[in-house]
Amino acid sequence: MAGLALTNVIKRFGALQVVHGANLDIEDGEFVVFVGPSGCGKSTLLRMIAGLEDVSGGEIAIAGNVVNDVEPSERHIAMVFQSYALYPHMTVRKNLSFGLTMNGNPKADTQRRVAHAADILQINELMDRRPGQLSGGQRQRVAIGRAIVREPQVFLFDEPLSNLDAELRVQMRVEISKLHKQLGTTMIYVTHDQTEAMTLADKIVVLRTGRIEQVGAPLDLYDDPANQFVAGFIGSPKMNFLKATIHAVGQEGVTAALIADPSVRLTLPISSRPDIGSPVILGIRPEHFSDAGTGEADLTVAVHVAEHLGHTSYVYAGVSGEPLIIERPESRHAGDQKTLTVGLPAKRCFLFDAEGERLR
Amino acid sequence: MRVHNRIAYAFLAPYLLIFATFWLWPIISSFLISFQNTRVNPWRFAPSMNWGRLVGDPAFYNALYNTLIILVIQVPVMIALATVMAVFLNSPLLKARPLYRFAFFVPVVVGEVAYAAVFRLMFSADFGIINKIIGTVGISPVSWFDNGTAAMALLIMAVTWRWAGYNAIIILAGLQSIPGDVYEAATLDRVGKVQQFFHITLPLLKPIILFCIVLSVIGTMQLFAEPFLITNRGGPGGATETLGLLLYRQGFTSLNFGYASAIAYTIAALAVAISLLNLFFGRETK
Ligand SMILES: Nc1ncnc2c1ncn2[C@@H]1O[C@H](COP(=O)(O)OP(=O)(O)O)[C@@H](O)[C@H]1O
Ligand SMILES: [Mg+2]
Repeated sequence: MAGLALTNVIKRFGALQVVHGANLDIEDGEFVVFVGPSGCGKSTLLRMIAGLEDVSGGEIAIAGNVVNDVEPSERHIAMVFQSYALYPHMTVRKNLSFGLTMNGNPKADTQRRVAHAADILQINELMDRRPGQLSGGQRQRVAIGRAIVREPQVFLFDEPLSNLDAELRVQMRVEISKLHKQLGTTMIYVTHDQTEAMTLADKIVVLRTGRIEQVGAPLDLYDDPANQFVAGFIGSPKMNFLKATIHAVGQEGVTAALIADPSVRLTLPISSRPDIGSPVILGIRPEHFSDAGTGEADLTVAVHVAEHLGHTSYVYAGVSGEPLIIERPESRHAGDQKTLTVGLPAKRCFLFDAEGERLR
Repeated sequence: MRVHNRIAYAFLAPYLLIFATFWLWPIISSFLISFQNTRVNPWRFAPSMNWGRLVGDPAFYNALYNTLIILVIQVPVMIALATVMAVFLNSPLLKARPLYRFAFFVPVVVGEVAYAAVFRLMFSADFGIINKIIGTVGISPVSWFDNGTAAMALLIMAVTWRWAGYNAIIILAGLQSIPGDVYEAATLDRVGKVQQFFHITLPLLKPIILFCIVLSVIGTMQLFAEPFLITNRGGPGGATETLGLLLYRQGFTSLNFGYASAIAYTIAALAVAISLLNLFFGRETK
């Protein structure tokens, strides 16, 4: 088991720079999730940690040792690939034991480790099948099993669940979480799915176009996003963003007026002092609207569509052309009228400047 | 439905006609001819004449022996070489890959007569470049066309030169169908490059290599152009006479079509038998 440290890690493919100076500390035994939209450099970062890609600049250290020039095979890491990458011509048993056998691991120990992994993942009945005879979920288990038998210092997962159907994804997610509790090994997990990130991570690393936007515990990112990108990426459905301008700056905080409806003014208790009249973005999550009259301001929206899921309803609405999603729990008939008035609780609202940085 | 079928067959008819006339009929007819005495006019039915002769004909056994020797040496050497070439072509370090791929494939496109002429020149005992080259390392000149063993070696080299690239291209396609992340997984599993080749690449290539072997066996069983053109019609003194050449001599020099047909059927039967053996021993072991 080991912690990791990335220091100013840069990756270039020829002239194209795809990772721009990543700094990150990962504690021993932590479950860290790299999350971000497709193409933001998550896999590249993971593959650099594995040693499958060269590091163009900066340093990667595992357990305190810089590994930039250490062969992948000597880094004591195991990786689970998105495509599983099982050995197609070998049985499940051989897939698990192959690496150990090739390295001259004692036979009895190999058998013990394989049996142990098979128990953990409940793949005992599959041991004599080949990957081609397995379902996607079973292959995924074998791929994880192959990583477990290595008894690595660090597990790397690259979007391991993205080829599974929704139900299986939830199930495997829980199992991976259990596995982490059971083994206690450091795990780095890449996904573009914020739900996976929120549910699995001790620590989430949000990436955008090769830059780390924010690092933190799932609920910290949810409650206290550093910028508009993180605010929009974490949480489902997405946070609503409404254009606004600074109306006043005073003792109680900053007052913003919506552009869509300037009569809606909201004073947020924040200490930064933006210029009067400067454009800002007001963010509020769908689940944080309150009943009309209970917030610091009321907002009336035109209802487009309402989805009733039983325990909650999602109202797809608009105000002067700006789209909004409003969640109304315990309210089965919300949005059945043409308009809807909801409250805006100032405590639950965020302000972002024109560059998308959070005004605090 | 039936009208549709009829129209479909009408479109197929020209092909079926040609297929029947120039494929099916010769196959049937040569089988029938092999049971006839074709050295008299008109031909007479004599079921044991050609087949009986075949069983006891030293020329047949000589040709069979030569063909099998070539098969046993040339096919494995060539397939091994082709595999190495394919791995080389597949290397990410290789620059100008299309150029090499083209170069390896070119021998197949070159006309048989042209390449045979070049080989005859290169291996000429007195002024051939090959003897000059081996002379520089102190080996005395080899009379490639007068020494039976040397002539066989020459044949094997020629056939290998001509077909190795072709097989390499097929094997390359197989290599490229192996996903790269399997190798990455193996690398992280601490499996070395050489072990990866023997434990991952070769097993996954097995069906392709078997296919190449079967193709090559069929080709070698019919080997004709090289012994005819390069080693002077199976020379010296029948030392490189192959079954294909024997067939040609019997059929088109001696005009003994009955015997030639029997030889043709023997070649086909042997090719099928050897290919089946291959497939049998190479099948997926459960
Ligand atoms: N081998 C490569 N050569 C060139 N560009 C690459 C290569 N691999 C990835 N990239 C680029 O690097 C960026 C990040 O890719 P990747 O790490 O795979 O993203 P993610 O896993 O977050 O979807 C993308 O713009 C991608 O096009
Ligand atoms: Mg990726």
